[in-house]
Order: sequence, then structure tokens, then C-alpha cells
Amino acid sequence: MTARASPARYDAKLALPLAAFFAVFFLAPLAILVFVSLHTDPSMTALGLTQYAKFLLDPFSLSVLAGTLWVGVEVTALCLLLGFPLAWAYVRAPRWAQVAMIWVILLPLLTSVVVRTFAWIVILGRQGIVNATLLELGVVDGPLRLLYTEGGMVVALAQVQMPLMVLPLITALSRLDPNLLDASAALGAGYWRTFFKVVLPLTIPGIVAGCLLTYAAAITAFITQTLIGGGQLLYMPMYLYQQASTLNNWPFAAAISIIFLVAVLLAVSLFNSLGRLSKGHAQA
Amino acid sequence: MTPTRRQLMTTALTLGALHLFPGMSAAQARRLVFATFTGSWEEAHAAVLVPAFRKANNNAEITLDPMLSVDQIAKVKAALQNPPIDVMLHDPGPALQAIEQGLVEPFPVAQSAHYKDLIKDAQDDMGPAPFFQVVGITYNPDKIKTPPTSWTDIWKPEFKGRVGITNLNSTLGTGWLVEIARMRGGSEANVEAGFKAIEELKPNLAAVAANPGQLATLYQQGQIDIGPGNFNAIQILKARGVPVEFVAPKEGAIAFKTTIHIVKNSPNKELAAKLIDASLSPEVQKVLMDAPYLIVPTNTKVAIGGEVAKLLAKNHEEMKKKFVFQDWRKINEQRAQWIDRFNREIKI
Repeated sequence: MTARASPARYDAKLALPLAAFFAVFFLAPLAILVFVSLHTDPSMTALGLTQYAKFLLDPFSLSVLAGTLWVGVEVTALCLLLGFPLAWAYVRAPRWAQVAMIWVILLPLLTSVVVRTFAWIVILGRQGIVNATLLELGVVDGPLRLLYTEGGMVVALAQVQMPLMVLPLITALSRLDPNLLDASAALGAGYWRTFFKVVLPLTIPGIVAGCLLTYAAAITAFITQTLIGGGQLLYMPMYLYQQASTLNNWPFAAAISIIFLVAVLLAVSLFNSLGRLSKGHAQA
Repeated sequence: MTPTRRQLMTTALTLGALHLFPGMSAAQARRLVFATFTGSWEEAHAAVLVPAFRKANNNAEITLDPMLSVDQIAKVKAALQNPPIDVMLHDPGPALQAIEQGLVEPFPVAQSAHYKDLIKDAQDDMGPAPFFQVVGITYNPDKIKTPPTSWTDIWKPEFKGRVGITNLNSTLGTGWLVEIARMRGGSEANVEAGFKAIEELKPNLAAVAANPGQLATLYQQGQIDIGPGNFNAIQILKARGVPVEFVAPKEGAIAFKTTIHIVKNSPNKELAAKLIDASLSPEVQKVLMDAPYLIVPTNTKVAIGGEVAKLLAKNHEEMKKKFVFQDWRKINEQRAQWIDRFNREIKI
């Protein structure tokens, strides 16, 4: 027993450098951020909660927060919808095809997010691929406005964040024992029934992990949000950038960050518990 | 003066940092650091200003550390006793903030060889302006055959869904709002008319970009065909083959000073002043005025030529008449409210 216990003690100590790193470079700045947010004026002379009141009592600010959280939901749903079949196809594909597929899946991670986003400007522009094709086919009379719209931005974000969804799904799906599917089929279940009763419940951890990663990345994606969303679609990252950089109003910017942080943590833990609930349901 | 909480905190943080990194207190001997802007500004300064400065100052060491105005202010503010930058470059809005927050040392005008030759609007001992940025109308000559002549042309029904502007985060966006307000009877203190004008522009608006750089790329994509634009950025795009033209509207092109400042408590004050003087010199400004830089000079000894003469003004006398200068002290007072209002009202 003692032999088994001692590695555990080593493990804890080994994490100390990382813990110290986090304390200095994450917790300390976070504490400063909270402190800054507790000032009533931009020149930081008096303490108070006015910045929080200013945000939480303002319907416009709250709508920016809700809009940002909702964009995350849209992007995550789209990623899951498109990513699951892709991960499924990957797991089923022969070895050589898997090599090609993983390359395609990882490629977005290997290019800079700015480059990926600029590609979407070219795709969604008035003379872009989408509009050119639609005009050619006679589906529309004039070019559609796709760039600088929320729809265009959600699609671009989904592509940019896709690897974060697909990789955990692949891991979860490759752990799935193929015998279970055969067993389900042998017992008379159709494809869909097998999918909902066997595949989905067993891959819940992968789905939860993928969704959390995609969600967090999508709502904080400042570059893609501003390049594809433009200057009049306002989301939380742009809102706090505006306050901090253009207006030098650090306390309000800090309060926005804290509120955003708390809101995201709430959304994430809500999702986590949903995942846990459905897991329980699957086992029942 | 009783120290404010912020000062106490800064001092405490600085003292702590000095303990952590003892090498920092020996920073007196470091080389001159000039925080220019990123992109074409950095290229221009590395190619022209830095060599001229070094030649005139016994090959003095200098580092270019390009960053946004806000980052310059943040870095200096975080270490006011021992700033990591010696010379800052600012647009008018941030320049006034830096001065108000006491981050700037006066430029020793008496020792300057070139300060007296600057045009009046560029003279300010808290930070003289070596360059002007000029905003006029940008358009795509492939799609718009009759060149626009006035800001009001942008509202023409024929440009439905073809106009691009930026939001008020940028100097360009805010300056333009003030100018269209002024044309309708408003001023730097009252831009009500400007907001009304943007409201009327909505059918024409195809894009509200987050910054001028993004706005420029939209011409390339055919997303927009006309809108306000920065002379020098548009000329650079044009030189790269993008179909864009710049015209100074008949109401006058909006001119911003780009000012250069000595940072308070800089350990290299003398060299900093020399660098600023080099930036004001006619030799440097002449080279920066020519292609590919096309930066508008402020020194009256520079004979205006090239694209600047063709599109903006033939000499500094004409410049004074044709440029619209704005009172950024007034603008800064209400800019936060305007940005807030723009956030809420301008949705296309």
C-alpha cells in the first residue's frame, strides 16, 4: 500500500512549479483586475461598485453579453453538427485515408487565425466565391450581404474552431467498442436507434469536452469576431477592448472582463452538469 | 499633494519588481527606445528616420519598438519612474490623454534647429507634429466613373449598399463624424447632426469596419466602393495594384497631427530630443513625403511635390487653407458618450 501511495505524493510536488507559475502569472493579474474593477472613475481615485452597476443595470450592455453567449451556442451547435459526422467518418476510414483526413482536420490549427479569417473575407465578400456561385446559378439577382453579418461570422467561427470539436470526438469515438454496435444491430435496433441508445451516450465525454473548448474559443475570438463581424456587431471582447484601449476606462473594462468571466464560468458549469445528467440517464 | 491609491499601487508594484529583477535599476544605461506605430510607419521610420538620426548623432544606438498608442501609454504608466520607452508617437486623441496624465516631458524648443520652421498647427512644445495624416474620400475608379468631389456625394442614392466607414474607435471614424456634423452646423462639442447624417446614410452603408486597416481591405474585395479613407494608407494600397483613388473633398480634407513626445523620466532625454529634431528636419520629411511613404510633411522648408502636391496641396500656404484641423481637446471630452451612442444606434 505504501509503495502505491508514494508516487501520489511525488505527483503533487511535481505540480508545484506549474502552480507557482499560475499563481504569479494568472492569479495575481486576476486579483489586480478585480481590484481595478472596484474603482468608480477612470483615474482610479475612489473605490465602489459603480462599474458593475453601470453594466448590470444597462439593458444594452446586458444584450451585448447575451448576444455573445448566444453566438457561442450557435457556433458550438454548428461545429457539433458538422464535426460529429467528420469524426465518425475518420474513425471508420481505412488507415491511409485517416492520415489524409487528420492532416485536413489539423491544418486550420497550423495556420494563423488571421490568415484563416482573411480567407473568409474573400469567400464571403460581394465578389466572393459564395456570391459568385449564387449569381452564376441565377439563385439571386444581386450579391447578398454575407460579410459583416452574424450568420457569416458564425460560419467562419465554426470553421476556425472546428479542430477543437473534432479532435475530442475522434478520441471518444475510437474508444467505442465496435462489438457494441454489432450487438445492438443483432438485437434488432436500427441505425438511428443504435446511434441514440449506444453511440451518443458512450461518447458524451468527448462531446462535452469538444463543446466546452469550442464554446470558450468562439466567444472570446476577438480577431475573427471583428474581421468578419465588422465594427457594428458588438460582442464582449470588442466591448472591453473599446473601453480599455480607445477610452482608457480601465475600471469599466476590468468590470466587463470579470462579468464576462463569471458568465462564461456559469455557462460552462451548466453545460457540464447537463453532460453529467445525460450520462446518468444513459446508465439508468 | 496626497498620493492617490493608484500612485501607491504603482510605487508598490515598482518596488516589488525592483526586488525581483535587480537588473532593472541599472536601466539608466540602456539605449534609446522609440515606440513608433506598426506597419507602414515602422517601415518608414526604420528606413529613413533611424539612419538619419544615427548619422547626425555619432551612430547612437536606437531601438524601434512599434506598438499602438494605447500600449505606449499603458507601458509608460505602469513604470512611470523608469519608463521602458523614451519617445512616443501618438494620434491627437491619445496624445492629449498622455499629456493630461503627466506622461510627457516638454520638448526643448530652444535647442531645436527645426521647430521654428514647422507650420503653426504643428507647433506644440508638449509634442510637436512631424507629420500630418489626411482623411479624404476614397473610391474605386473601376466602378465609379465620375470622381466624387464632396463628402455629400457619399449620400447619393446611386451608392446604395456600397459605402464603408469605420466605427468611432479610430481617429479616422471620430474625426469624420465631427466633420460631417460641422458641415451640418454642428461642432466638436455637438455632433448631433453627424449622428443624424449617419442615420440617413444607412441605406448606402455596406460595412462598418472595426478599424481603418480593415476598411481599406474591403475595397480590395469589392465589398465597398466609396467612403472616407486615410491618404497615405490608400496610396500604399494603390501602389500595390488595388483599384482605389483618393480625392480631397471640396469642404477640405480632415488633417490630424501625428505628434512625437519625450517620455517623462526618460533616462535618454537628450538623445530623445535629437531624434525628435531629426523627425522635424526637412531632409527626413522630404524623403518620407516621396513614394512609397507619402507622409505629409509639416516643415515649411520642404518643397511639396509628388502625389502630395497633386492630390492635397501645392505648398504649406495652400495646406493651411485646404486642411480642416479639429479641436481634439473638445472631442476627447465627449468621445466616450459618442462611442457608447454609436454602439447602440448604428446597426446595419
